[in-house]
Amino acid sequence: MKFDVVIIGGGLAGLTAGVELQKKGLRCAAVAEGLTLNECPREEFIKLGGTLFPGDSVIGGHIVDDGDGKSLEWVETRNLVGTRLEAPYYILSTGKFFSRGLVSNMEGITEPVFGCDVEYAGGPSEWTVQEFFDDQPFEKFGVTTDAESRVKIGGKVIGNLYAAGEILAGRQDIVTTAQKVAEQIIGRKK
Amino acid sequence: MIYDVIIIGGGVTGVGTARDCALRGLKVLLLERQDLTAGATGRNHGLLHSGARYAVTDKESAAECIRENKILRRVASNCVEPTGGLFITLPEDDLAYQDNFIKCCREAGIDAEAIDPKEALRMEPSVNPALIGAVKVPDASVDPFRLATANALDAMLHGAEVRTYTEVTGFIKEGDRIVGVETRDTKTGAEEKFYATITVNAAGIWGHHIAEMAGCEIRMLPAKGSLLIFGHRVNKMVINRCRKPANADILVPGDVVCVIGTTSDKVPFEECDDIRVTPEEVQLLLREGCMLAPSLAQTRILRAYAGVRPLVASDDDPTGRSTSRGIVLLDHEKRDGIPGFISITGGKLTSYRLMGEQATDLVCGKLGKNARCRTAELPLPGSEKDLMEGAKGLKMAEKAAIGRQGTMVSKMDFANKSEVLCECEHVTRAEIAYAVKYLDVHNMMDLRRRTRVGMGTCQGSFCMKKVAAALAEELGCPEKTDEFVQEYLRERWKGMIPVCWGDALREAEYMRKLYADKAGEGEER
Repeated sequence: MKFDVVIIGGGLAGLTAGVELQKKGLRCAAVAEGLTLNECPREEFIKLGGTLFPGDSVIGGHIVDDGDGKSLEWVETRNLVGTRLEAPYYILSTGKFFSRGLVSNMEGITEPVFGCDVEYAGGPSEWTVQEFFDDQPFEKFGVTTDAESRVKIGGKVIGNLYAAGEILAGRQDIVTTAQKVAEQIIGRKK
Repeated sequence: MIYDVIIIGGGVTGVGTARDCALRGLKVLLLERQDLTAGATGRNHGLLHSGARYAVTDKESAAECIRENKILRRVASNCVEPTGGLFITLPEDDLAYQDNFIKCCREAGIDAEAIDPKEALRMEPSVNPALIGAVKVPDASVDPFRLATANALDAMLHGAEVRTYTEVTGFIKEGDRIVGVETRDTKTGAEEKFYATITVNAAGIWGHHIAEMAGCEIRMLPAKGSLLIFGHRVNKMVINRCRKPANADILVPGDVVCVIGTTSDKVPFEECDDIRVTPEEVQLLLREGCMLAPSLAQTRILRAYAGVRPLVASDDDPTGRSTSRGIVLLDHEKRDGIPGFISITGGKLTSYRLMGEQATDLVCGKLGKNARCRTAELPLPGSEKDLMEGAKGLKMAEKAAIGRQGTMVSKMDFANKSEVLCECEHVTRAEIAYAVKYLDVHNMMDLRRRTRVGMGTCQGSFCMKKVAAALAEELGCPEKTDEFVQEYLRERWKGMIPVCWGDALREAEYMRKLYADKAGEGEER
């Protein structure tokens, strides 16, 4: 199945970007597992013609090195057996730990779908502070990107895979990051 | 008013002694500086030992355990789950240990039976399938909160006074004799004096300090034991390693969870009030736990906690190296020339009743009171009869309340307060109101220990606000709701920090979003 943009993670960030992109006439597919703590513009996304795959999740994709650098060619989901989702642009917006956008164990923290580079500090004893109501270090962990919000794997930018929302390192406003990514993709499309 | 006996310490030993004294007709006052079960009583495995663990190394303790095990199954049936236990031998263990182990168990009166490893796997599917030997023993699971609360309640029903959040700050003496104590209310700071013919030190590891204040020394060795509690009950039987007792070799099921432990490390007295679990301990517990039940590696850890065992150095060993897990009853009149003062310490959860009996025998002897101990015969409140037989047709939450509070459910107003507030553990408003009225509850932590509110899978994430509001209302201080929620979150956080990765970290993020994130309250961040 081909789209203009495939959004991996249909929470607030993914669907906000999706709404912006649909408004500009880009056909979006959003794969939404459903675990989110935020209110999302689901209905608006669908009304604008977006395709939502609810209750599904992206389990992997194919990254190629075409000489100009790395890019993502297609992704596959748990439910769409035998059918790949393809697009020139992808958005990774799977959130942090609660929604499993990031996965942690005693040894460290990873991004489970593509193995994107994740910024975090030390071991589990350094991920929290004693006072519950103080900001917690783990809340700033996330994937690192270039200036155009594209993720990296092994230090190398994936040219068509953008990250938005809580999966990003730092504590950024979700909607702002989503709008930024939408602008980047719209700019490139022109 | 002069009491016959003042008991210092609201752990299971203190409340067990208080109950025994009250049943023998004594005028009893129990003083606890925090809440009932706030110390080691609420910070252990919840294992009702069969004695098998001590059979090879300490026969006397083993025999004591099996006797008490049998008694508590009867008189505290509502607190005990007769799970049975396994002692397993793994390929790296010496299988020859098993024969001697069974022999020692039988000598101590423990019904130990070697079974085929395949049979063990059928009985307990969670056990490490690599096992090469298995012995079945009558271990059981016991809810220490429920057990201690039932003792305190029965003491009160027999006229004892129980004062929590009341710290003993000094002793009142007439010559060498102790005739009373000075106390401070830890909430208000109010000071008071209480007088009694005999004062019993049952303060666990804190009894070291109590004895010092009284003018004598008990050489105690604080031994920290750390444990992990998992969000699912993977095992139905207690699983032990069949080898010389070592770290993290017991996995105990309890209610809907299971607990692996423990470690054993000496800690300084100064740390006993703020004991923390280290990352190294967590790793050790997980590693060894997975040897007993491999599925623990994939099971969510709810929290880590630690208690301090009150080990006592033997009086005739000047080096202090030889400690015992046995009961230590000290008559300070004979030992130190301090009449009116005794200490009951050492021991273990399984032997708490016997400790109470021995202490009360000594108290009665000193008071010249001739009354027989009845705690081995009289069931605890809630354990009088098996109410579950007549429980057909009751709502789930009412059955859950019977499970926890036994016959005391008759005091609960299900007609008007039937709403379920804690859904994991099925705790209703009626049970919370009952706990406030009868079980000396002042805050969320007290309530948790009395009713299991927030002890289940969600650990209070979903219900703590509802529960806090209900508790504050029942206590007549609705303005305290937010304070209760914050206090609860801080306490829970302490247990989560040592295990904050994987699912616990997911939960941490979720809790922070719900309760600590300003964005969650409608503000932009």
